[in-house]
Amino acid sequence: MDDKTRLDLYRVMVLSRTFEEAILREYHADKKPAFDIGAGLVPGEMHLSAGQEPVAAGVCAHLRAEDAVTATHRPHHVAIAHGVDLDKMTAEIFGRETGLGHGRGGHMHLFDPRVHFSCSGIIAEGLPPALGQAFAFARADGDRVAVAFTGEGAANQGAFHESLNLAALWKLPVVFVVEDNDWAISVPRDVSTAIASNADRAAAYGMPGERIEDNDVEAIYAAAGAAVGRARSGEGPTLLEVHTLRLWGHFEGDPQAYRPELSDVPGKDPIPAYGQRLTQDGVLDADAAKAIKDEASARVEKAVAFAKSSPVPAPETALDYVFT
Amino acid sequence: MSATDTSAAAGAGAGQAGRKLTTARAIAEGIAQEMERDQGVVVIGEDVGAYGGIFGATGGLLDQFGPERVLDTPISETAFIGLGIGAAVEGMRPVVELMFADFFGVCMDQIYNHMAKIHYESGGNVRVPMVLMMAAGGGYSDAEQHSQCLWGTFAHLPGMKVVVPSNPADAKGLMISAIRDDNPVVYVFHKGIMGLPWMAKNPRSVAPVPEEAYQTPIGKATVARVGTDATVVTLSLSVHHALDVADKMAAEAGVDLEVIDLRSLVPLDTETVLSSVARTGRLLVVDEDYQSFGMSGEIAARVAETDPGLLRAPLRRVAVPDVPIPYARSLERAVLPTPERIEAAVHDLLKA
Amino acid sequence: MTEVVFPRLLEKEPGAEGVLATWFVSDGDQVASGQLLAEVMVEKVSGEVLAPAAGRVSLLIGEDQTARQGEVIARVD
Repeated sequence: MDDKTRLDLYRVMVLSRTFEEAILREYHADKKPAFDIGAGLVPGEMHLSAGQEPVAAGVCAHLRAEDAVTATHRPHHVAIAHGVDLDKMTAEIFGRETGLGHGRGGHMHLFDPRVHFSCSGIIAEGLPPALGQAFAFARADGDRVAVAFTGEGAANQGAFHESLNLAALWKLPVVFVVEDNDWAISVPRDVSTAIASNADRAAAYGMPGERIEDNDVEAIYAAAGAAVGRARSGEGPTLLEVHTLRLWGHFEGDPQAYRPELSDVPGKDPIPAYGQRLTQDGVLDADAAKAIKDEASARVEKAVAFAKSSPVPAPETALDYVFT
Repeated sequence: MSATDTSAAAGAGAGQAGRKLTTARAIAEGIAQEMERDQGVVVIGEDVGAYGGIFGATGGLLDQFGPERVLDTPISETAFIGLGIGAAVEGMRPVVELMFADFFGVCMDQIYNHMAKIHYESGGNVRVPMVLMMAAGGGYSDAEQHSQCLWGTFAHLPGMKVVVPSNPADAKGLMISAIRDDNPVVYVFHKGIMGLPWMAKNPRSVAPVPEEAYQTPIGKATVARVGTDATVVTLSLSVHHALDVADKMAAEAGVDLEVIDLRSLVPLDTETVLSSVARTGRLLVVDEDYQSFGMSGEIAARVAETDPGLLRAPLRRVAVPDVPIPYARSLERAVLPTPERIEAAVHDLLKA
Repeated sequence: MTEVVFPRLLEKEPGAEGVLATWFVSDGDQVASGQLLAEVMVEKVSGEVLAPAAGRVSLLIGEDQTARQGEVIARVD
């Protein structure tokens, strides 16, 4: 891998983490002294992706703006890596009129048609629409692909199995990416799944499958490159499962009492680890790392400021956009 | 021809002396004409190809357009309805068939949480121009899980239009309108109006259909029979039962019924209902869906919240009385909105 | 004058009876060659009856009535 690619991966991950830290800050700022989910500037559920940045960065590096991506209730890292408009995304998370959905969707329902990005709050249900986008791409000129992100818990939902079969049967240009962060809210994988690796399910559905360990962004990048390449050349779908890390709770406000290894978790943060690796390889130094962090902070704070200064949607527009 | 009332269009006829089609053939013809016009229209579902659709709605399409545009799917409603959604998001116009409305249980998330909500969630930035068609209705002993209507359930949930034709001409026009509509449209066809050779049919299931492509307006009811004594508001197969009852009561009892064929539930043509009730003062709603929390209650509410004084007598409704549809013919006939139940309700309505 | 016969949908059972399920035209209508006249069924198999010639059609059996495969069911003059 060339230095530029490695630095780009690092940069995307830093931007994503910086964003999540800002949202974390904003989300909790006005929910004190005790957590009130409906209070404040960013009410509702919030599912942040800290720790899972390598998956988004490694996969989306292979995608163009015209490729489609469907993501989950934990979408921010994927959105950022795929180039979703950061200002409008932030405004949408803050429920403002200038948001991607004019404040109608919020954090779990982000749509940026410019980069064919969508996400959904229903587990595994982002897979079928990705099939449809791939279906449309396959019939048009070019070699566009669709990538559907989902979780290891979602791999036991009917939609997952139906989608894998149909994608393989119709040889659709789609890549399925399972983010195995060990936890479906509070339920660990070995309590939900009869087999050790969802990659082993791929063969049952007639497609190649690969599991990537250690939340290693470069290994993810390599596997995703092969999978996206297969899809682009008409060879059909691939299932990738990445063992990643949920650094924070399932949702903000999750006390995580069920998570025995919690104290070990911060030590497994993939971003400082990758930074160290790049430094050892002479690709990154302290100044460059600081510049990347400062650039990310500036970009994120600009987006947050844009969101906060944007108007709230007018109540009399509540029925707009039911139909076109 | 566009947006004109298809009752008039069908009466005027076109081509060979008012050429007649069954409802099933009319639907297939509407889809075919749209597929000729627009390469983005594809048909997706179980047995829609060589079989022509279990209820004939896609007959002849595979022969005419080939397997690239008429696709048989595995038994994976969530996957193929979701596939339709994604294809629509990317600019295609899929017509997806759910074999029986009763099967919505296995795929409802894609329908009501995705197909119906994406446009709103995206603040109007993403459109889902797809048609989800489905067979509905009972009367031929297919029992609890294969005889339901369920249009009330779809109509209740925001974000999808719901159309329910009663006759061949409207069936074709509404299908063309549905395909051209940029919103998701749920298109419900009663099996009993399809004119199938293997199911008892009402004679109105075979009727003149104009040969050219035309649109029947979504959201506009039609007055199927003009009358003065009472208004019968209904849809689908029940329109035919209501018309049969109207003919019978005109001849035997000198009763003159007005019958309104709603044709669409979302949007609902409240205007036509209210103006009829304002003239007749008496309202009977006939609905083959379940009685409570549905279409008949909605019609009643719209009248009551506009002006309950329009009614000279309490309204009546004939629907399936909140019971699963039984298998035994004697029991099924007791719960469906049969002509006998409709006639009895009209008598009730006129006495009050 | 051209005869319109009930289609032989079940070749292996030449004597089988079927039903005239649907007439798409009325007695006395002008029809074009190839126009869809009727839909018939023999056991589980359905089939179409197309006009063999143009002209005025006379219907010889009614809807829902039974007929044998090969039986003359209409005439076109």
